[in-house]
Amino acid sequence: MIMMLPFLSALLAIWFSLRGNRPYTIWAWIFTFVIFLAWMHYHMTDKLNISL
Amino acid sequence: MNTLSEDLSGAHRYFGKSLSYWLNAAALAAVCGSLIEALFWQIAFNELPCPLCQLQRVALTLAGIGMMLNIRFGPRATHYAIILASALGGATASVRQVLLHIAPGDTGYGSTLFGLHFYTWGFISFFIMMLFCVAMLCIDRDQLQRSKAATTYTLSTLLITLFFLIAAANTFSAIAVCGFGPCPDNPTQYLWQK
Repeated sequence: MIMMLPFLSALLAIWFSLRGNRPYTIWAWIFTFVIFLAWMHYHMTDKLNISL
Repeated sequence: MNTLSEDLSGAHRYFGKSLSYWLNAAALAAVCGSLIEALFWQIAFNELPCPLCQLQRVALTLAGIGMMLNIRFGPRATHYAIILASALGGATASVRQVLLHIAPGDTGYGSTLFGLHFYTWGFISFFIMMLFCVAMLCIDRDQLQRSKAATTYTLSTLLITLFFLIAAANTFSAIAVCGFGPCPDNPTQYLWQK
C-alpha cells in the first residue's frame, strides 16, 4: 500500500488539465479514485492504533 | 429586467464570466484554502497526518479536480459526478475517523479548530460539497451538454497553478511521512528524523 500514489496520480490529473487535456484528466481521476477506494477499504477493515 | 430564474442561470454573466464559473472558482479556492490550512498545521505545529487524514486530503484534491474541470472546460454533468463521488468518499473516510474517536474518554486525534477536530470539519466540508452539487446542477441545468474548448482565463490558470502546487506539496508530505509504503497509524516524526 503506497500512500503517496493517489497524491501523485491526482497531481498528474491536475497537470493534464493545465495542459488542456480533459480526457487524460478524467482517466487520471478515475485511476486515483480506484486507489483511494482500495486504500480506504484497507483502513476500514484494518486495526488502527489511534483510538483509545 | 431579468427574472430571478434568468439571474440564477449558469450562463448569466457577472463581471464578464458566467455565474457557474465564479461559483466553481470560489469552491476551488475554498478547497485550496482547506488544503493550505492542513499543511500549515502540519508544518507550524508538527502535527503529522494519520492515514485517514491523508485519505481525506486525497478526497479534497479529487473533489477539487471536478471544480477545476468546470472552470477550465465549462460545466458538465460528468464534472459534477466527479465532485459528488469524491465528496461521498471523503465523507465516508471522515465519518470513519469520527466514529473511531467517539468513545467516552477519547480526546480525539490532533488539535481542534473552533472546538471541532479536523476530521469533523472534513465531514462538514464534504457534506457542503454535496449540497453545492445539488445547487449547481440546478443552476447549470441548461449548460451541461454544451461542448466547450479549454478556456485560458488568467484567474483560472492562477487558481489551477496554485492547486497544482498544493497537490505537489501534499505529495512531498506523503513521501516525507510514509515513504514509498504504507503510513504509520500514529505518525510522530518524518522519515528523515528516524
